[in-house]
Amino acid sequence: MTKVMQKVLLLLLVVAVTLTVAQPADAGRKMPWTKFKYPMLGEIAMPDYTRVELDNGMVLYLAEDHEFPTIGLSAKIMVGSIYEPAEKVGLAGITGEVLRSGGTKSWDGDEIDLMLESMGASVETWIGGNTGGAWLSALTEDSDMALKILAEIMTAPRFAEDKIDLSITQHKAGISRRNDEPSSIARREMTKILLGEDHPIARVEEYDTIGSITRDDLVNFHSQYFHPDRMHLIVVGDFDSDTMVAKIEAAFAGWEKSTTPLPNDPMIPNFPRTVNIAAKEGLTQSQILLGHKGIKADHPKYAHIIVANKILGGGFSSRLFNEVRSKRGLAYSTWSSSGTGFRNAGNFMAGVGTKCETTEEAITVVLGEIERMTTELVSQEELDSAKDGILNSEVFSFDTKREVLDRMVTYEMYGYPDDFLQVYQQQVRETTVEDVLAATQELWKPDRLSILAVGDPELFDGDLGTFGMVNDIDITIPEPKLTLDIPTATDELMAAGQAIMTAGYEAMGGKKIGGMDGYFGEMSLDLEIQGMALTFGVEKTIVYPNHMKLAQKTPFGNMVQALDGDVAWADTPGGIVDIEGDDIQSLLEEIEKDFYTVLRNRGDISCQAIDQAEVDGVLCDRVYVTGIGKDFILYCFDAETHLLVMEQTKGADMVTGAPVVAKTMYSDYAVFDGIQVAKSIVILHDDEQFAAGAVKKFERNPKIEAGFFSKP
Amino acid sequence: MPGYLRATVTVLLGLLMLAGAVSAGNYMDLQDEIQEFTLDNGIHFMVLERHDVPVFSFRTYVNVGSVNEVTGITGIAHILEHMAFKGTDYIATTGYKKERKAMEAEDNAFYALRDELNKGHDADPAVLEQLRADFEAAKDVAREFVVSNEFGQLVENNGGNGMNASTGADATNYFYNMPSNRLELWAYLEGTRMSKPVFREFYTEKDGPVTEERRMRTDNSPFGMLMEQFLNMAFSAHPYHHSTIGYMSDIESISRQDCIDFYDKWYIGNNFTVAVVGDVELKEVKRLAKKYFSDVPGPGKLPVIETVEPVQKGEKRIVVMDDTQPIIMAGYHKGGMSHPDDAVYDAIADIAGQGRTSRLHTKLVKEDKLCVAAGCFSGFPGNKYPNLMLVYAIPSKDVSTAEVEAALYAEFDKLVADGVTEEELAGVKKRTKANFIRSLGGNQGMAGQLCAYQALTGDWRDMFKTVEKIEAVTVEDVKRVAAEIFVTSNRTVAIVETEEEE
Repeated sequence: MTKVMQKVLLLLLVVAVTLTVAQPADAGRKMPWTKFKYPMLGEIAMPDYTRVELDNGMVLYLAEDHEFPTIGLSAKIMVGSIYEPAEKVGLAGITGEVLRSGGTKSWDGDEIDLMLESMGASVETWIGGNTGGAWLSALTEDSDMALKILAEIMTAPRFAEDKIDLSITQHKAGISRRNDEPSSIARREMTKILLGEDHPIARVEEYDTIGSITRDDLVNFHSQYFHPDRMHLIVVGDFDSDTMVAKIEAAFAGWEKSTTPLPNDPMIPNFPRTVNIAAKEGLTQSQILLGHKGIKADHPKYAHIIVANKILGGGFSSRLFNEVRSKRGLAYSTWSSSGTGFRNAGNFMAGVGTKCETTEEAITVVLGEIERMTTELVSQEELDSAKDGILNSEVFSFDTKREVLDRMVTYEMYGYPDDFLQVYQQQVRETTVEDVLAATQELWKPDRLSILAVGDPELFDGDLGTFGMVNDIDITIPEPKLTLDIPTATDELMAAGQAIMTAGYEAMGGKKIGGMDGYFGEMSLDLEIQGMALTFGVEKTIVYPNHMKLAQKTPFGNMVQALDGDVAWADTPGGIVDIEGDDIQSLLEEIEKDFYTVLRNRGDISCQAIDQAEVDGVLCDRVYVTGIGKDFILYCFDAETHLLVMEQTKGADMVTGAPVVAKTMYSDYAVFDGIQVAKSIVILHDDEQFAAGAVKKFERNPKIEAGFFSKP
Repeated sequence: MPGYLRATVTVLLGLLMLAGAVSAGNYMDLQDEIQEFTLDNGIHFMVLERHDVPVFSFRTYVNVGSVNEVTGITGIAHILEHMAFKGTDYIATTGYKKERKAMEAEDNAFYALRDELNKGHDADPAVLEQLRADFEAAKDVAREFVVSNEFGQLVENNGGNGMNASTGADATNYFYNMPSNRLELWAYLEGTRMSKPVFREFYTEKDGPVTEERRMRTDNSPFGMLMEQFLNMAFSAHPYHHSTIGYMSDIESISRQDCIDFYDKWYIGNNFTVAVVGDVELKEVKRLAKKYFSDVPGPGKLPVIETVEPVQKGEKRIVVMDDTQPIIMAGYHKGGMSHPDDAVYDAIADIAGQGRTSRLHTKLVKEDKLCVAAGCFSGFPGNKYPNLMLVYAIPSKDVSTAEVEAALYAEFDKLVADGVTEEELAGVKKRTKANFIRSLGGNQGMAGQLCAYQALTGDWRDMFKTVEKIEAVTVEDVKRVAAEIFVTSNRTVAIVETEEEE
């Protein structure tokens, strides 16, 4: 135990003794409890702990406790969904689960389950928004084995495919159930409102983000973020500290330190008020949340705002509890949270669950109470009572050894000083009614509080328009769009896929395609964007393997994009610009994904036959092609003629850029230079017609003038 | 798993069990430290001194729950629990004498309104409106005398933590933790609220928080809704048949006098058990208990539930169409906690449906991927009387409830036909021991267990027989008991089917 900690705890106890003597004096009332004298609180036998930093950077906090033959261990790691890519939302959570369920290099997941359950021990892992971790609980007699299992889970997970699939299935079921409980709808939607829906903590997993997660993603995520120098380990229980350190060192031997720094946390803007209703039929009760961005714990008014929150909505003594629940009987529960965080700013929030018919009333009452906190001084009684409540109950923050050590680890992880608690306690003690008002005036902005009501708006006592423009939140769960349910590939299916592709190749032109150097095609394309009917002209010239020119004539001007070997450029209405970086790669992919290229290269591409299906009334052979770019292509060939009927890929919506299922339907085939060309093309986005085109020209091995692909 | 690995794991398991046998801890010695005394009114106290941190936890266990309610007052045990936070003749009032008159007027306004409402369609809307206004006005008058939430504030401001209460089918529990120098304040607060409670703000609490709790937990929760339907069907005679929260119509019509009557009947000394665990001394607890808890009436005669659920003659089913995802619940009647096979029920529930290696999880979730979750537990909705082995499953997306239901029953058929293995049973025994040892550590959990065992079995020492009882269970016991309970005619099934949108 450090000196600082001892001092903090002693101070805390003294406070507990001195402050509570003050009771609201109420003339004429008999209050027998005010005459009690409280003895000095007994001294805490402070947990002796040892802090050890291992050579690999792992930090251990150990406290021996021999009362029962058990040990408990908890690990905290700097990892979280805050680091997962936007298109893979859910990756962190799934990694945290399969870490434990998916086995290790020595044992599969089921063997680990069996070993642990037969010891009556448990080891669990998790990854949350801001941190990840593990915990272990075992009888002393089994602790060596349990520790060994934990270490392998952290350092050498197997990430077995079947457990990943299981986890994915469960997450998908979770998505389908996410609107069942109104309070979870409220929490989820409010986080989006307060952080912005693209913030990694606010993002929500969807069928498609979950569906795109592969084993490689888990392996990479683990190897990127799981390192000993990012981990703190708290061990409490029936062991000898020196022996335990040696055992931990041995168990985690060979685990490598991180080599790259962690990304910075994204900023959270201060959003203006929005008023939101998430309608769910059949609800008789509304879940209401009000909130805006809060502060980090290193803010100078941290202690004052904690006191203010205690007065507003922290427990039985609070104004919200009295006004909303007790006096008006509007709610079973009502609360507020200070919105402070150790790592990042939290969200200042107030919540209430009330019957739908009193939704607007409850919001008005809560807003009024928050407003009053920012305009009037609180009473001295309220202040004393809140301070008493905070300081007296803090003794329970330290009533187990694990809690004390956990707090120390939090301070160390986020760079707070050792005496943070001591300073904070002192500030709470010294807080005045003026401090509370100054803090709420600086940090609480009633007119910026966003509002969310989840309930049945038909039953509401108002349309909430009095609070601002009302935004209806659609909580409909998006159907999976971009994934196909593909059976596991087998040698037979791969061979069958090649056979279909070869049949297509032969039917479409055979050697005429295989032997061509390139082609030129011209088409016109009619499409509708935001109600405007537009006609585009498109010319595409390809010379294998890496030259291409795309010229588009649009009502807004013409545009040319060209790939000239390993350089690329574009001619836009704004002038000629170089195309660089990843964009060059995507032009090259345009060539590789071109149907004739795929037919030519089919032998080198993964082509898996899947079930026959009817497409537009035509029975088709279907082939699932992967390995070109990161997405798949699904080809459907007429089972009789072997001509291409449909091509399905991932596309992007022209206006929003949101991912869509893009299907291109080919028909009206004609032969140009010995090659079958579909003269009519229809493009569907999410099964709705997006564009229709007609091919005007197709030339095999076109004459290419010198400098045709070069930048002008 | 590959053959050689299986062998390794088996050897390993053998070693682990041996190790377990050798180093049994001294945790059983803890029972020598538990002290007890009984007040003249019958309240039984248990005290465990633990002086390492200056805090203590207590549990007040009242041996009354929703099982003791009758039709018309369902939900009253829970309402009474809420009212126990409303203060006493001193706490939370500016003057009880005047307040009592105001509460009487409030009650009379409620009766008048209730009588008119009970006329149903014949109720006169104009009269109703007037009576409602009178009732609101009477509540406003009574509210003038209330010091809002004084009880909770006293606890919180003196460092009390984790203050709450729970009402179940079998019992009502009150609990919180306090800094140890506040022992006298605690004894005063707890003793007087149990002996001289005043049910002020009765109608505001009942029509507000209690009603909202019912909406949240039952009407707006697919699980809660199904659970209520399920219970109503599973028990046709025994009072386990209604849910603890009570029917909405009963909540609406219960009066303060109903609540006082229920309190008078059940809150008597010999129906109380109190445990105090933490930084306290027996002598002081005894002195304060005598001083502040002696006014609780008692001892007295407690009513006995004579009704026995008749043997079920055939499967009962209900299918609820809802726009939420499907849920399946199935319950099998079985004996209560005094039944000699009590530990066998626990073993069956553990092997069949608890944890990652349980049969239901392994087969339905892991292997066949039919469910997102599947499991079972013993002792629903309570344990005191013969109750249910409850089985639940949440189907995976696009898997029908029929398919999941069939798979559930197939697992129980297998259990009946083949029993369980020695390894499975050894696992249950080790887990029970480990969980038991872990449960001894926390003050609050310890207080809760002491009370429950003392109240339900008459001796808290039975808590320390948990391990011994499970050790005695054999594979033959499991097979015999499984064959007794997993019978189609003994089954009640409740299902939520997803309603197709139009």
